[in-house]
Amino acid sequence: MAEKRKFARKYCKYCEAKVEYVDYKDAKILRHSLSERYKIMPRRLTGNCKRHQEMVELAIKRARATAVIPYIIDTRKVVAVPFEQLQQ
Amino acid sequence: MRHYELLIVVKPTLTVEELQAKLNFLKEILEKNGAVIAAKQEMGTRKLAYQIDKFERGSYTVFYFTAPTAAIAEVERLIRITEEFIRFMTVKFENQKELRFWNKQVEKLTKKSEPAPVAVAAPVAESKETSEDEIVTTEA
Repeated sequence: MAEKRKFARKYCKYCEAKVEYVDYKDAKILRHSLSERYKIMPRRLTGNCKRHQEMVELAIKRARATAVIPYIIDTRKVVAVPFEQLQQ
Repeated sequence: MRHYELLIVVKPTLTVEELQAKLNFLKEILEKNGAVIAAKQEMGTRKLAYQIDKFERGSYTVFYFTAPTAAIAEVERLIRITEEFIRFMTVKFENQKELRFWNKQVEKLTKKSEPAPVAVAAPVAESKETSEDEIVTTEA
Protein backbone atom coordinates (compact mmCIF):
# COMPACT_ATOMS: atom_id res chain seq x y z
CA MET A 1 0.00 0.00 0.00
CA ALA A 2 1.22 3.42 -0.88
CA GLU A 3 1.79 5.81 1.97
CA LYS A 4 -0.46 8.80 2.34
CA ARG A 5 0.91 11.93 0.71
CA LYS A 6 2.18 14.31 3.38
CA PHE A 7 2.29 17.45 1.25
CA ALA A 8 -0.16 18.93 -1.20
CA ARG A 9 0.57 18.03 -4.79
CA LYS A 10 2.46 20.71 -6.68
CA TYR A 11 0.70 22.33 -9.58
CA CYS A 12 1.29 25.23 -11.92
CA LYS A 13 -0.15 28.38 -10.38
CA TYR A 14 0.00 30.15 -13.73
CA CYS A 15 -2.12 27.45 -15.37
CA GLU A 16 -4.63 27.80 -12.56
CA ALA A 17 -4.82 31.56 -13.11
CA LYS A 18 -4.99 30.97 -16.89
CA VAL A 19 -2.11 33.32 -17.63
CA GLU A 20 -1.61 33.65 -21.38
CA TYR A 21 1.26 36.09 -21.37
CA VAL A 22 3.56 36.95 -18.48
CA ASP A 23 4.10 40.69 -18.42
CA TYR A 24 7.61 41.66 -17.34
CA LYS A 25 6.43 45.00 -15.93
CA ASP A 26 4.27 43.30 -13.32
CA ALA A 27 6.60 42.27 -10.50
CA LYS A 28 3.74 40.67 -8.54
CA ILE A 29 3.27 37.85 -11.06
CA LEU A 30 6.99 37.15 -11.17
CA ARG A 31 7.47 37.13 -7.38
CA HIS A 32 6.08 33.60 -7.13
CA SER A 33 8.94 32.20 -9.24
CA LEU A 34 11.71 34.12 -7.47
CA SER A 35 13.66 33.12 -4.37
CA GLU A 36 14.31 35.42 -1.39
CA ARG A 37 17.44 36.63 -3.12
CA TYR A 38 15.64 37.14 -6.39
CA LYS A 39 17.08 34.08 -8.09
CA ILE A 40 14.85 32.22 -10.54
CA MET A 41 13.35 29.22 -8.73
CA PRO A 42 13.61 25.83 -10.44
CA ARG A 43 10.50 24.12 -11.71
CA ARG A 44 10.88 21.24 -9.26
CA LEU A 45 10.35 23.64 -6.36
CA THR A 46 7.61 25.89 -7.71
CA GLY A 47 5.68 23.26 -9.64
CA ASN A 48 5.37 25.45 -12.71
CA CYS A 49 4.68 23.73 -16.00
CA LYS A 50 7.34 23.92 -18.68
CA ARG A 51 5.42 26.28 -20.90
CA HIS A 52 4.84 28.83 -18.15
CA GLN A 53 8.32 28.43 -16.71
CA GLU A 54 9.81 29.46 -20.05
CA MET A 55 7.52 32.48 -20.24
CA VAL A 56 8.37 33.47 -16.67
CA GLU A 57 12.11 33.08 -17.28
CA LEU A 58 11.99 35.45 -20.22
CA ALA A 59 9.85 37.94 -18.32
CA ILE A 60 12.20 37.88 -15.31
CA LYS A 61 15.22 38.53 -17.50
CA ARG A 62 13.46 41.46 -19.13
CA ALA A 63 12.35 42.81 -15.77
CA ARG A 64 15.93 42.68 -14.51
CA ALA A 65 17.23 44.59 -17.52
CA THR A 66 14.69 47.38 -16.96
CA ALA A 67 15.33 47.61 -13.20
CA VAL A 68 11.86 46.42 -12.25
CA ILE A 69 13.45 43.54 -10.30
CA PRO A 70 17.01 43.45 -8.91
CA TYR A 71 19.56 41.07 -10.41
CA ILE A 72 20.76 40.01 -6.96
CA ILE A 73 20.40 40.96 -3.33
CA ASP A 74 23.72 40.48 -1.57
CA THR A 75 24.83 41.15 2.00
CA ARG A 76 26.90 44.11 0.90
CA LYS A 77 23.82 45.88 -0.37
CA VAL A 78 21.87 45.19 2.80
CA VAL A 79 24.65 46.47 5.08
CA ALA A 80 25.56 49.54 3.02
CA VAL A 81 22.32 51.42 3.55
CA PRO A 82 22.16 51.58 7.38
CA PHE A 83 25.87 52.40 7.52
CA GLU A 84 25.36 55.48 5.36
CA GLN A 85 22.50 56.55 7.58
CA LEU A 86 24.75 56.24 10.65
CA GLN A 87 27.41 58.43 9.11
CA GLN A 88 24.95 61.21 8.44
CA MET B 1 3.83 46.15 -39.78
CA ARG B 2 4.38 44.34 -36.53
CA HIS B 3 3.17 44.90 -33.01
CA TYR B 4 5.63 46.27 -30.50
CA GLU B 5 5.85 47.59 -27.00
CA LEU B 6 8.54 50.06 -25.98
CA LEU B 7 9.34 50.75 -22.35
CA ILE B 8 11.49 53.77 -21.66
CA VAL B 9 13.09 54.92 -18.41
CA VAL B 10 13.85 58.64 -18.25
CA LYS B 11 16.14 60.44 -15.80
CA PRO B 12 14.33 61.51 -12.62
CA THR B 13 16.01 64.95 -12.55
CA LEU B 14 13.86 66.42 -15.33
CA THR B 15 10.90 68.72 -14.66
CA VAL B 16 7.41 67.75 -15.80
CA GLU B 17 7.61 69.91 -18.94
CA GLU B 18 11.05 68.61 -19.86
CA LEU B 19 9.84 65.05 -19.41
CA GLN B 20 6.83 65.68 -21.64
CA ALA B 21 9.10 67.32 -24.23
CA LYS B 22 11.35 64.25 -24.23
CA LEU B 23 8.38 61.91 -24.59
CA ASN B 24 7.01 63.98 -27.45
CA PHE B 25 10.44 63.87 -29.05
CA LEU B 26 10.34 60.07 -28.84
CA LYS B 27 6.81 60.04 -30.19
CA GLU B 28 7.91 62.10 -33.18
CA ILE B 29 10.81 59.75 -33.84
CA LEU B 30 8.44 56.79 -33.82
CA GLU B 31 5.93 58.45 -36.11
CA LYS B 32 8.64 59.66 -38.48
CA ASN B 33 9.76 56.05 -38.89
CA GLY B 34 6.29 54.91 -39.84
CA ALA B 35 5.03 53.74 -36.47
CA VAL B 36 1.38 54.06 -35.48
CA ILE B 37 1.08 54.59 -31.73
CA ALA B 38 -1.91 52.78 -30.30
CA ALA B 39 -1.55 53.62 -26.63
CA LYS B 40 0.72 55.27 -24.10
CA GLN B 41 1.00 54.29 -20.46
CA GLU B 42 2.76 56.54 -17.98
CA MET B 43 3.78 54.54 -14.95
CA GLY B 44 5.23 57.59 -13.17
CA THR B 45 8.43 57.86 -11.18
CA ARG B 46 9.34 54.68 -9.39
CA LYS B 47 12.28 53.36 -7.47
CA LEU B 48 14.80 51.43 -9.54
CA ALA B 49 15.76 47.98 -8.34
CA TYR B 50 19.41 48.96 -8.64
CA GLN B 51 21.35 52.12 -9.41
CA ILE B 52 21.63 53.18 -13.03
CA ASP B 53 24.14 55.97 -13.67
CA LYS B 54 23.95 56.80 -9.92
CA PHE B 55 20.18 57.34 -10.15
CA GLU B 56 17.94 55.74 -7.56
CA ARG B 57 14.68 56.54 -9.33
CA GLY B 58 13.41 56.73 -12.88
CA SER B 59 10.20 57.67 -14.64
CA TYR B 60 8.70 54.83 -16.66
CA THR B 61 6.62 55.18 -19.81
CA VAL B 62 5.33 52.45 -22.11
CA PHE B 63 4.35 52.88 -25.76
CA TYR B 64 2.24 50.33 -27.62
CA PHE B 65 2.56 50.68 -31.38
CA THR B 66 2.73 48.95 -34.75
CA ALA B 67 5.72 49.63 -36.95
CA PRO B 68 7.67 48.23 -39.90
CA THR B 69 10.60 46.08 -38.79
CA ALA B 70 13.26 48.45 -40.11
CA ALA B 71 12.02 51.28 -37.89
CA ILE B 72 13.08 49.61 -34.64
CA ALA B 73 16.82 49.73 -35.33
CA GLU B 74 16.65 53.42 -36.17
CA VAL B 75 14.53 54.30 -33.13
CA GLU B 76 16.84 52.36 -30.81
CA ARG B 77 19.88 54.09 -32.30
CA LEU B 78 18.34 57.50 -31.51
CA ILE B 79 17.36 56.41 -28.00
CA ARG B 80 20.94 55.35 -27.30
CA ILE B 81 22.21 58.77 -28.38
CA THR B 82 19.77 60.69 -26.17
CA GLU B 83 21.24 61.09 -22.68
CA GLU B 84 17.96 61.51 -20.83
CA PHE B 85 16.87 57.95 -21.61
CA ILE B 86 18.65 55.67 -19.16
CA ARG B 87 16.97 52.36 -20.08
CA PHE B 88 14.71 51.05 -22.81
CA MET B 89 13.15 47.74 -23.77
CA THR B 90 11.46 46.87 -27.04
CA VAL B 91 9.31 43.77 -27.08
CA LYS B 92 7.89 42.19 -30.22
CA PHE B 93 4.44 40.57 -30.07
CA GLU B 94 4.12 37.77 -32.61
CA ASN B 95 1.89 34.81 -31.89
CA GLN B 96 -1.82 34.96 -31.18
CA LYS B 97 -1.63 34.79 -27.41
CA GLU B 98 0.87 37.64 -27.28
CA LEU B 99 -1.22 39.72 -29.67
CA ARG B 100 -4.28 39.13 -27.55
CA PHE B 101 -2.38 40.55 -24.59
CA TRP B 102 -1.29 43.54 -26.69
CA ASN B 103 -4.86 44.26 -27.76
CA LYS B 104 -6.08 43.90 -24.20
CA GLN B 105 -3.52 46.41 -22.95
CA VAL B 106 -4.32 48.90 -25.69
CA GLU B 107 -8.03 48.57 -25.00
CA LYS B 108 -7.51 49.07 -21.30
CA LEU B 109 -5.35 52.15 -21.79
CA THR B 110 -7.47 53.85 -24.43
CA LYS B 111 -10.52 53.39 -22.24
CA LYS B 112 -8.76 55.05 -19.31
CA SER B 113 -7.08 57.92 -21.10
CA GLU B 114 -9.81 58.84 -23.57
CA PRO B 115 -13.38 58.01 -22.63
CA ALA B 116 -14.24 60.17 -25.67
CA PRO B 117 -15.12 57.40 -28.23
CA VAL B 118 -17.52 55.79 -25.77
CA ALA B 119 -18.96 59.16 -24.81
CA VAL B 120 -19.46 60.13 -28.45
CA ALA B 121 -21.48 57.00 -29.12
CA ALA B 122 -23.68 57.46 -26.06
CA PRO B 123 -24.79 61.11 -26.49
CA VAL B 124 -26.10 60.38 -30.00
CA ALA B 125 -28.61 57.93 -28.59
CA GLU B 126 -29.32 60.21 -25.65
CA SER B 127 -29.82 63.31 -27.77
CA LYS B 128 -32.42 61.49 -29.85
CA GLU B 129 -34.29 60.51 -26.75
CA THR B 130 -34.10 64.00 -25.32
CA SER B 131 -35.30 65.54 -28.55
CA GLU B 132 -38.28 63.20 -28.55
CA ASP B 133 -38.94 64.15 -24.94
CA GLU B 134 -38.81 67.80 -25.86
CA ILE B 135 -41.30 67.28 -28.63
CA VAL B 136 -43.61 65.52 -26.21
CA THR B 137 -43.33 68.36 -23.71
CA THR B 138 -43.94 71.01 -26.35
CA GLU B 139 -47.01 69.16 -27.55
CA ALA B 140 -48.29 68.84 -24.03
